[in-house]
Amino acid sequence: MKNRIISRDELAQLIDRLVERVDVYAPVREKNGANWGKVGSANEIYLEAVNTHEPAKGFLFPRCEMILKFDQSGNAVEPGLPQEQVVFGIRPCDARALMVLERFFTSEGKTDPYVQARLEKMTIIGVACNRTAPACFCLALGNSPHSSEGMDVLLTDLGDVFLAEPRSEKGEKLIAGLAEAEVKHLERRTELKERVESEITGRIDTTRLKENLPKMFDDPVWERLSLPCINCGACTFLCPTCHCFDVTDETVRGNSARYRVWDSCQFALYSRHASGHNPRFNPAFRYRNRVMDKFYYTTEQMGLISCVGCGRCITVCPAGIDIRQTVATLLSFIDSTER
Amino acid sequence: MNRSEILRRRAKELLSKGEVKMVVGYCASSQPGVAQPFFATTPEQAEQLIFDATCSQNLANFLLKVKNIGRVAVVAKGCDSRSIVVLLQENQIQRDEVHILGVGCEGVIQNGERSVSCRVCEYPNPLIYDEMLGEQAAQQAADTAIRMADEDFTRLTPDERWRVLSEEVSRCIRCYACRQVCPNCYCPVCFVDASMPQLVGRTHNISDNMVFHIMRALHMAGRCVECGSCHRACPMGIDLMRFNRRVAKIVKERFNAVAGIDITTPPALTRFSPEDAQEFIK
Repeated sequence: MKNRIISRDELAQLIDRLVERVDVYAPVREKNGANWGKVGSANEIYLEAVNTHEPAKGFLFPRCEMILKFDQSGNAVEPGLPQEQVVFGIRPCDARALMVLERFFTSEGKTDPYVQARLEKMTIIGVACNRTAPACFCLALGNSPHSSEGMDVLLTDLGDVFLAEPRSEKGEKLIAGLAEAEVKHLERRTELKERVESEITGRIDTTRLKENLPKMFDDPVWERLSLPCINCGACTFLCPTCHCFDVTDETVRGNSARYRVWDSCQFALYSRHASGHNPRFNPAFRYRNRVMDKFYYTTEQMGLISCVGCGRCITVCPAGIDIRQTVATLLSFIDSTER
Repeated sequence: MNRSEILRRRAKELLSKGEVKMVVGYCASSQPGVAQPFFATTPEQAEQLIFDATCSQNLANFLLKVKNIGRVAVVAKGCDSRSIVVLLQENQIQRDEVHILGVGCEGVIQNGERSVSCRVCEYPNPLIYDEMLGEQAAQQAADTAIRMADEDFTRLTPDERWRVLSEEVSRCIRCYACRQVCPNCYCPVCFVDASMPQLVGRTHNISDNMVFHIMRALHMAGRCVECGSCHRACPMGIDLMRFNRRVAKIVKERFNAVAGIDITTPPALTRFSPEDAQEFIK
């Protein structure tokens, strides 16, 4: 697959051609930055923000989706297949997050048909980060602000032109016919990559977590760490990889439907059994679950840490909690008990 | 000495003399412009306490979380103190279990700007406290733009108001940060979490979102102290203070009551007076 060069005009034309044919979602300007929106032309796209306020997970796993319609006489209808969609301007952390979601929803021979159908209809065009925010820490999770993982094409803004790197057949087709990239373009890309990576100061050491976290399950440190936490769902709902859901049936004027809606392990209702018993009755247990899930449970289930280092949980937390500090505290605790 | 220094000195004294088990205050967080609630249990930990315009969370919320550990000290701005008053009125905490460290507040910041609730704050100083840390804060003039926008809103037709509110709540993702961050929203089981029977749908359609926000606003009528915590906590930027200011205004007009300013008078909707407006009884 050949790396190519695309000028700003050519990119705008490409997007405008896509818009005529399929739904194109991209970052658009918002009051305090950028968020995802369906765009009608390339002019509406806003790539100046470091990242979108919300992650891209809704394109694969919507906040609320109807999975079945049924009526009193027992007839059930499944909604039709999803439309083809292009997700343009996704950042490397969020593209990796989509890959984590794909792994979760399609692994171990259990394929989620709704997520699978969306995946097949989705084209992912990423844009590398040339700037970072204080909450960014993707490098610490083995990712890079210039990573093309999980994308069909990665675009890198080289200043006058974009470098376009295809990562799938779909992506290769999309940029076929454009001029091939030259050595100077690749050199410029490397230069930008090294510069932006050096700007990411947020670090967490994840190497010892998998081994040590299970030993800390019953430790009183969680009580202390979770004191500022108010157990809202802001971190989980804005997390690009949190994927818990609930299924609910609703009837409005005789029309019934079954919905899948996001759920959060931070809520007491999430873990309450039908008997009324709640194994995570203590708010500290719910806080612990989120940390354990990101850095331990998913390493067991899927073989990967499910935090991608986007930093959204840090910036949206009403209590100013920083997961990097939580991990740092856990590590220092591990150190002190080992000694 | 500034307020932070006085706070640290007093917190250390209270902890070392054993007068309190914990000081609930703030420390710096990793993010510029926002502090983190902090719980000092030793004089050494008290060194980390700060107080400035980044200390935006309403700490009365955490009194409910730590109420079984013994006497605690809490840093209280004007709004926090009013929430404490409501909690005392509703028997959620005991007065002798709480040592209130009052602080004057010039307004807290959100995204680098003075928070919306602070721009129309009428009570920058605590109304109940055991000791004041530093000077009282000066009352600042209310932001007339917010007051005027509220006036404009009341003049809209019911359909127009419904449209404005629908636009706001359509963004709600039901993370319940507004509810969780609120000191006076403490029901053991919230009506949206009731499952036997279920009272509110769990999808994010506009009617369920609206039911949640309207019912919450009504539950807070006469109890909301307009601290703005919910507004700042909302990750979707919903203008929750629009609901709260409107409800507070109606409570003031109909019952001549303001939440959390007078410990001897129960919240407006929990008392009856023959003088109450009752034109709805036909």
